[in-house]
Amino acid sequence: MTLWHRFRTMWRNLRRTQQVDRDLENELRSYQELLEDEKVRSGLPAAQALREARLELGSTSLIQEQVRDVRLGVTLGNLMAEIRQSFRSLRRNPGLTIMATLMLAVGMGASTVVFSIFHAALIRPLPFRDPGRLVEVFETHLDRGIDHASFAEANFWDLRSLNRSFEEMAAYHEGEANLTGIGAPERITASRVTPSFFRTLGITPIVGRDFEYDEARAGSPGALSVVILGNKFWKDRFGGDPSILGRTLRLNDKAYTVIGVLPPGRPWIDDQSYIPFRYRPNANRGSWEFNVIGRLKPGMNPGAARADFERVAGIVAAAHPGEARGLGFGTAPSSGWVASVTTRRALWTLLTAVGLLLLIACLNLANLLLGRGLSRRREIAVRTALGAGRGRLVRFVMMESVLLSIFGGVAGLAIAFTALPIIRSLEIRGISSLSEANLNPWVLAFSGAMVIITGLLSGLAPGLQAPVSIARALHEGDRQTGSRGENRLRNILVAVEVALSFLLLIGAGLLTRSLDQLMSVQTGFRVENRLMFSVSLPGSYAEHGRGKQFLNRFIDRIRSMPTVESVGAVSHRPIEGGNPGMGIGAASGPQIADRDTPWAGWRIVTPGYFSAVGLRLQKGRLFDQHDEWIWDRPGQPSQLRHVILSERLAKTLFRGIDPIGQHVVLWKGQSGGDADVIGVVSDMRERGLSANMAMTVYLPTGVEAVPSEFIVHTQASPTSLVSTIRAALAELDPNLPLSGVRTFEEVISRSVAQSRLNTVGFCVFAGIALLLAVTGIYGVLAYSMSRRTSEIGLRVALGASATSIRRMTLLQGMRPVIAGLVVGTVGAWWLSKSFTALLFGVKPFDVTTYAGVAAVLLLAALLACYLPAKKAMRIDPAVALRVG
Amino acid sequence: MPSTNLLQGTLDLLILKVLVLEPLHGLGISRRIAQVTGGTFDVKPGSLFPALHRMEEAGWLAAVWGQSENGRKAKFYSLTASGKKQLKQEASEWRRISEAMSSALGSI
Repeated sequence: MTLWHRFRTMWRNLRRTQQVDRDLENELRSYQELLEDEKVRSGLPAAQALREARLELGSTSLIQEQVRDVRLGVTLGNLMAEIRQSFRSLRRNPGLTIMATLMLAVGMGASTVVFSIFHAALIRPLPFRDPGRLVEVFETHLDRGIDHASFAEANFWDLRSLNRSFEEMAAYHEGEANLTGIGAPERITASRVTPSFFRTLGITPIVGRDFEYDEARAGSPGALSVVILGNKFWKDRFGGDPSILGRTLRLNDKAYTVIGVLPPGRPWIDDQSYIPFRYRPNANRGSWEFNVIGRLKPGMNPGAARADFERVAGIVAAAHPGEARGLGFGTAPSSGWVASVTTRRALWTLLTAVGLLLLIACLNLANLLLGRGLSRRREIAVRTALGAGRGRLVRFVMMESVLLSIFGGVAGLAIAFTALPIIRSLEIRGISSLSEANLNPWVLAFSGAMVIITGLLSGLAPGLQAPVSIARALHEGDRQTGSRGENRLRNILVAVEVALSFLLLIGAGLLTRSLDQLMSVQTGFRVENRLMFSVSLPGSYAEHGRGKQFLNRFIDRIRSMPTVESVGAVSHRPIEGGNPGMGIGAASGPQIADRDTPWAGWRIVTPGYFSAVGLRLQKGRLFDQHDEWIWDRPGQPSQLRHVILSERLAKTLFRGIDPIGQHVVLWKGQSGGDADVIGVVSDMRERGLSANMAMTVYLPTGVEAVPSEFIVHTQASPTSLVSTIRAALAELDPNLPLSGVRTFEEVISRSVAQSRLNTVGFCVFAGIALLLAVTGIYGVLAYSMSRRTSEIGLRVALGASATSIRRMTLLQGMRPVIAGLVVGTVGAWWLSKSFTALLFGVKPFDVTTYAGVAAVLLLAALLACYLPAKKAMRIDPAVALRVG
Repeated sequence: MPSTNLLQGTLDLLILKVLVLEPLHGLGISRRIAQVTGGTFDVKPGSLFPALHRMEEAGWLAAVWGQSENGRKAKFYSLTASGKKQLKQEASEWRRISEAMSSALGSI
């Protein structure tokens, strides 16, 4: 009731100001009349009564003012009036308004985009229940210097049954399968998981049911053939059809019944299908194949779990002294699933960079407003003289910067809205949640906060500059330039701008050089005109050597195509594929202590692989069709087998002895087995451009060793070959899908996408920062020169030469730039340590980069000073002095 | 005229009090206050009108234009229900303070 009354009153006060004022006027007139009547009644003559009444009433306009000040909504009304006033004032200065809006829009847009990526990757909690208790579990073999290894299946089952730390644990093996029977054959992601997988993650299917614990244990083989689908997988391929339950999918030529569909919005598990695998008492303990996750019991922290792990590892190692020697377990927080340490650091750096950019934009706006404040001195003086309080003046100036900041914020959101779809479409390894980056409420709140902070920050200096007293204001209103203090303030702002821009430019320079180094590093492989693709064979190909036959025929078909130079197949694709490894030792020659057993990756390759990927034979020979890989069977004598080593591995193992014909022990300390070295090939950076030259053992193909990754070297454009290869494959088996088709160049480009994002981001930000700094330098100098026209005229009249005027102008303009450069260099040097991790092949205090960036900045600053200097040189003393 | 500074809230309380009996216009309120306080308080228009408008906006007073005793148009103020409530509250508050003050000051 009262509230409604107040609201109505306020509305009336704001909307019908004139009526309300008239009413008050009437009331005061009536008061005066009544007073007059009173005086007349007490015996005064009419004229004197009127005079005394007027005297007693006092100034009606003052009373009206006092009443107005207590009215409801007076603050709001004033505020609205001030906003209107600021709008008018901004409209009168379209140049400043547009420039400031653009400047802030760029800063806000960039920071919104970066923050939305940052939020998606680092802040948003994992879409699983209670993600803090979710951890990754891994094996350690510290005696062999391995602090992070996948799990052997048997070790997982042992840890799961013996531990006291976890509520639930699950193992999974990421895999793929050929989906056939619906449309064209397709390669899909099909992971094998223990039935506990989704319970560990804390998600339940939205359609159908989860795996039963004994699903994997039931006796009949048919009981195992069930599958759960990820939500996106279900929507994309089956249109979200709920009748999918009970349908049969053919994966790798085996039938699986769909029993459930997972809820949406879990990007890591969305586009997959899941097949359970069961407990096996005779599970393998030597081959590390499984990733393991665990959900810690409530109140259990990883530290307390460590003691428990040591206990379990001790039991397992005691029971299996050969295979589990030196076994240990470790955990890592699940937050690392979304963003690796490198990504985390990169995103922090990028966010800092964009923060600096926004700060520069603030400084620049502050500078612009300061400059305008100086030329608006007279206006402000008049306002002060007319009774505007200091608070009101400060508010007036701040209001402008806040309004500008809101304009900039809105325009910035528009920029972010356009830029985000482009960013989302980038596939960047290490930021799996990039596709989730959007303008969600968190991001909007961040931008809102940025708008307010920016507005206040850039209005602070101009606001405080509002004159203290009327006398001073009117006095200074006639002066030609701002006071010494104000000029110094503007120069300091410019110097800080220059210093911050220098930091960004250094960052951009270092990252560019680093990426340049990375791209020109000696890789050992050749990427030109190389096509990569995968063909994976279902289980039915394992019988009667069908897989090997297929491989030979397929490779022959491709080799006979007209433009093909060479073709090969490998078990794991370079850069992108997995990296299975083994301990390896020389069976003869200098004995290497067990601890130093080198760790080498192994790859099953066809003879054509080496030339297809661009490796050279250094010694011995390559594989021929007689070389065959045969896996060791327990209890059977070892076969005679041949391997080829990479050069670095050969040097490490044999130290100067000719490795050809030597014996090596493979899977040393695990399953074991030996082979003869028949050749040595050149090294390559198989694990990525920033990794070292890999140590690799190449094994020949065999009936049970059929590689699935193909690489073709052609004379023409590699993509033109895809349709021919697809047709050839369909002829051999129409049910086999061709997947992962990419040129080698694409593979490389994808592997450096994150560095590129960082570099491009920094370069864009630094470029804008430079532009802002240059406008800042120009603005201050041009303004100061225009104010010193008469002074310069006087100098010229007294005999100063054009050169000396130019020197004076340049000196004045460059002083804050030099100061900024010095501060920036010290700052960059101080920050350089935290930058090291992002660089490849470049020292953080790279003299070339520093010198180059300083030169660019100085040149740009000189350019900014040149125009005002030129104008100053042209000053005609006669004109200047008359105007002054 | 003795110029006693009005304590914060005193004017409000006095206005509410003199309006209990009958609606009055501005000058009437001023005169009535002088009368009931024995001339201690002489409320000037500069403080009276802001107070009246503030209290009207707070919903304690209602204002209507009417005829004065000698036929002049005048704006008359009267107490509303919430004004009466406010009066009770402020009066008891005032008593509390004044008792506290007298006991604190004792006999000087």
